[in-house]
Amino acid sequence: MTDAKKQQGNKLSEAEAIERAKQGDAEAFEALYNLHKRRVYSLCLRMTANTAAAEDLTQEAFLQLFRKIGTFRGESAFSTWLHRMSVNVVLMQLRKKGLPVVSLEETMETEEDAPRKEPGADDPRLAGSIDRMQLQRSVAALPPGYRMIFLLHDVEGYEHNEIAEMVGCSIGNSKSQLHKARMKLREILKTSRAEKATKP
Amino acid sequence: MTCEEFERVLPELGDGHTFEQEAHLRSCSACSDLVADLSAISQQARLLQGSEEPSPWVWNSIEVALRQDGLIRQPHLEHSRTPAPLLGWKLRWLVPAAAMFLVVFGVLMFQRGTGQPHVAGQQNPPVGVETAGLQPMAGDDLQLLRTVGERMPSMRAEYEANLRSVNAYIRDAEQSAHSDPNDEVAQQYLRNAYQQKAMVYEMALDRSLP
Repeated sequence: MTDAKKQQGNKLSEAEAIERAKQGDAEAFEALYNLHKRRVYSLCLRMTANTAAAEDLTQEAFLQLFRKIGTFRGESAFSTWLHRMSVNVVLMQLRKKGLPVVSLEETMETEEDAPRKEPGADDPRLAGSIDRMQLQRSVAALPPGYRMIFLLHDVEGYEHNEIAEMVGCSIGNSKSQLHKARMKLREILKTSRAEKATKP
Repeated sequence: MTCEEFERVLPELGDGHTFEQEAHLRSCSACSDLVADLSAISQQARLLQGSEEPSPWVWNSIEVALRQDGLIRQPHLEHSRTPAPLLGWKLRWLVPAAAMFLVVFGVLMFQRGTGQPHVAGQQNPPVGVETAGLQPMAGDDLQLLRTVGERMPSMRAEYEANLRSVNAYIRDAEQSAHSDPNDEVAQQYLRNAYQQKAMVYEMALDRSLP
């Protein structure tokens, strides 16, 4: 038997891992953790911009999930359940810190948050000039509500119906928030580029 | 269709546009630029996906908590290939090894800061390992992959992908830090990038121990 086939045989499928975890199987818990740790950690890291805080939140999200695994009946995808928990954990942490978390259902926004509609007719396109560090910094500068939707959709690849289920908003609201996030990022990136161009 | 009408429907647009929207985009450079910019942002966002992994202690802490809660109902040694005290001894060696790795990288970074900037992921490029479109891997990385390949062949591809991803992160962070050495944020990103690489090494060595 080749190594690949052995590995395939030995790897738990998610469904098997869930059932075995319900029975207290340590390997099953670890398999579930390894399947989803990157996406959960990545989300926490982008929302907090701090590795220690992100690791604490990752731990908290998985512990909350594992403590309730006995109640999982498969009504929704396991990953959606987990990421909903991660989103809740992150939002609770932000609220504890007193950071302004805009309700995802609200359409009112502050002057500072709203993307400005300036003509900028002579601005060259951003395409081909965005690098990872710039984008990372710009995402970190987004208001938390916009950032969450942007991370879930454009970074993690969730669809709007999944995001709506995870964060408890409407599909329309998810689309609207995403658009505003992208517009705000465009503004931040253009401002940053303009500032760099004027530096000696 | 006016620009205002077009921007009103923009949040609802997926990849396709109606005939009217296409016609507006052809005739309006401002809206066309806007769509191109938003599309570029969305595409580049994928670069931020899941390139980071939490450190091994996160799982260790989760496992300890689950055992304390009684949710794990098997003895610790049943699924562990190495007796716990011996595993702990081996892991203790990995922590200073990972720290040494960080120190070496930091020293190299400082030395390069006094001369020409040099990209971390390209040091000592070995012969014949450049794959079309990919950066050549450093000798240390290749050695690690060789070790992983010998001990856990099925994991080699995953570790190679991890190393390429974290090396790209280091390159980007170094460029940012070099362009403005006083930028604390850029320096923090660079430290994070080194830590990520140290974690990849730590995990690979931890899992490949017999």
